[in-house]
Amino acid sequence: MPILSVKDFSIHFYTPKGVRKAVDKVNLDLNKKEVIGIAGESGSGKSTLAMGIMRLITPPGKIVGGKVLFNNEDILSYDEDKFNKEIRWKKISMIFQGSMNGFTPVFKIGQQIEEVLEVHEYKGNFKERVNELLKMVELDPSVSDKYPHELSGGMRQRAFIAMALALNPEILICDEPTTALDVITQAKIINLLKTLKKELGLSIIFITHDLALLSEISDRLYIMYAGSIMESGYSLDLYKNPKHPYTQLLMDSIADINKDYIKGIPGFMPDLANLPKGCRFSDRCPYAMEICKQKEPELKRIEGDRYVSCWLY
Amino acid sequence: MSHAGYIDPNVLIQTEGLKVYFVRGGFLAEKQITKAVDGVSIKINKGEVMALVGESGSGKTTLGRAMIGLQKPTEGKIIYNRDSSPVVITPKTKIIKHIRRELQMVYQDPYSSIDPYMKVYDALSMPLKYSKIKDKEYINKKIEEVLNMVGLPLDLINNYVFQLSGGQRQRLSIARALSLDPKFLVADEPVTMLDASLKGEIVDLLKKINKQTGITILFITHELPIAKIVANRISVMYKGKIVESGRAQTVLKDPLHPYTKVLLEAYPKINPESKDTIKTINVKESKIDTSKIQGCPFYDRCPFATQKCLEKMPDIKSMSSDHEVACWLY
Ligand SMILES: Nc1ncnc2c1ncn2[C@@H]1O[C@H](COP(=O)(O)OP(=O)(O)OP(=O)(O)O)[C@@H](O)[C@H]1O
Ligand SMILES: Nc1ncnc2c1ncn2[C@@H]1O[C@H](COP(=O)(O)OP(=O)(O)O)[C@@H](O)[C@H]1O
Ligand code: SF4
Ligand code: SF4
Ligand SMILES: [Mg+2]
Ligand SMILES: [Mg+2]
Repeated sequence: MPILSVKDFSIHFYTPKGVRKAVDKVNLDLNKKEVIGIAGESGSGKSTLAMGIMRLITPPGKIVGGKVLFNNEDILSYDEDKFNKEIRWKKISMIFQGSMNGFTPVFKIGQQIEEVLEVHEYKGNFKERVNELLKMVELDPSVSDKYPHELSGGMRQRAFIAMALALNPEILICDEPTTALDVITQAKIINLLKTLKKELGLSIIFITHDLALLSEISDRLYIMYAGSIMESGYSLDLYKNPKHPYTQLLMDSIADINKDYIKGIPGFMPDLANLPKGCRFSDRCPYAMEICKQKEPELKRIEGDRYVSCWLY
Repeated sequence: MSHAGYIDPNVLIQTEGLKVYFVRGGFLAEKQITKAVDGVSIKINKGEVMALVGESGSGKTTLGRAMIGLQKPTEGKIIYNRDSSPVVITPKTKIIKHIRRELQMVYQDPYSSIDPYMKVYDALSMPLKYSKIKDKEYINKKIEEVLNMVGLPLDLINNYVFQLSGGQRQRLSIARALSLDPKFLVADEPVTMLDASLKGEIVDLLKKINKQTGITILFITHELPIAKIVANRISVMYKGKIVESGRAQTVLKDPLHPYTKVLLEAYPKINPESKDTIKTINVKESKIDTSKIQGCPFYDRCPFATQKCLEKMPDIKSMSSDHEVACWLY
């Protein structure tokens, strides 16, 4: 049984220009001690999905349907108080793209981590826990007495990871945790996440638009486009043999030191308030057929663990 | 303005021992010096695209800004080999207004570099107006020309900037810089904020413009694969110093400096056979303060460091016709 199971999850933004379906009936599973990757272009709904799982969606956004099962219990049906007491930060925690800028400048790192412990009624010794957490993310205990601006971007991101782990969560959602960092710092953070996964038995949802980066860490992949999952499967398999035309183009657009070009994906993602009829990728797809413009394909299993939403299969 | 001395006619712009230091504090507080650019001598040939590569904080933006006269040098000089006569910028240079137009910059963040509540037309006509160009007909013609060049549809001119996508905004900033017919363009991480599918578009666009107009470009990035695609030559910067430079293909195929090697290793690659291709990079976080460096700036992270590295900064040394490195290993 997966530790987290998202079923027909939908999140809409009610904007003056119409209803934007940022997450449109998404299904995904996260198994225990597994890393799943969610990849897709900017605006495809990845962050919204993550914020939805954390129940941090604010107006004009609204969760409009579906279930989120944690150990088979629907945590979407919890009231806010119960969710905050039992789930958020305690069972499911999250780090964001700009997390390292998320610390309050006027308090020391240690104080800020202690604050999280206090708010969530941590029972042990605060100072000891802070030291333990800093050690976990390979920071010197002296960092506890530093102000955020005294640390480099990479060190701040580590400190934020420490804070996210403060209450021993079982699931960690990472939304573009390294996008703003340079490649060396990025590699070190990825290595840290791998170590933490092993040592703490964490299950991780890793969100990024960088497929090459994802190949370093994910066991399974979900490819998201315009609010919907286009393809999913085991990473090694999916990288070797992408089936959905969007996945194929996304793979081609990866910058690689052995390539002399990078190919863009022609065209733009459709307005999420005004999706085309049929397949949402049809206006950019080189293989679009008549049926693609009429009827929306469903995500269906084509072999093993591979699911694809495309009329070619 | 001082005397330029001999300049290779193929060079468009060069720096000689350029230093840019930022000083904080002083008076009462302890003085803190950041040596953002610390003795850089580079040459960029006419019509070439040079990539400037390095991690965040290494001084790339500051070097780029100094080269186009937006940042006052502390020491050293910049020589801009202008058609009529060379222009030299030193710490004493006061007015460089007359060459401003010819040296332009495109910024990293397409979302904050242009006021989102401006109309596209105004965003494009403003720099022209600032440059005292009043001829309406000329302005309209120019706007049409640059929009064409960057592949934006003409009917976009009445849209607000916030209505454009990230890729479109970056095209707009390029169009804006081009409207002044610059000879030299500093593109400061123009694709860093864009996702993979858009990076390709912008990189191709800049290459095309370079071919079509012969404009010389300094392309700042921390992504080596991007540098490889876009540039003829690469300079690698670390803590204010150029540690390696040369022909793009050579530097990437046969990197010499330990830092360049680490940069290459750290770049994520897809390997369908296995995960874990990012090696456990064996460099530490740097703890040294640039203002206190005597020797090699990389010594506290370098696996090959010796006592000599700590004491003395290696000079840049030519290894082959177009490949130089500053490291005691060579
Ligand atoms: N507060 C909001 N109000 C209105 N629309 C929103 C809001 N937040 C997100 N959206 C819309 O929801 C869609 C998905 O956005 P989201 O930020 O989830 O994408 P993403 O995949 O995380 O993109 P990126 O790669 O840029 O982080 C976009 O069309 C976005 O404009
Ligand atoms: N205006 C400024 N005042 C003080 N310090 C600065 C200023 N601009 C840059 N710096 C410092 O100079 C160093 C190099 O910065 P920068 O040129 O922006 O590097 P890069 O573009 O390679 O990331 C950094 O330590 C930065 O904080
Ligand atoms: S369903 Fe049709 S348009 Fe959509 S991805 Fe498949 S082939 Fe392309
Ligand atoms: S000079 Fe010494 S410390 Fe610097 S890169 Fe070379 S070997 Fe390493
Ligand atoms: Mg996002
Ligand atoms: Mg910069």
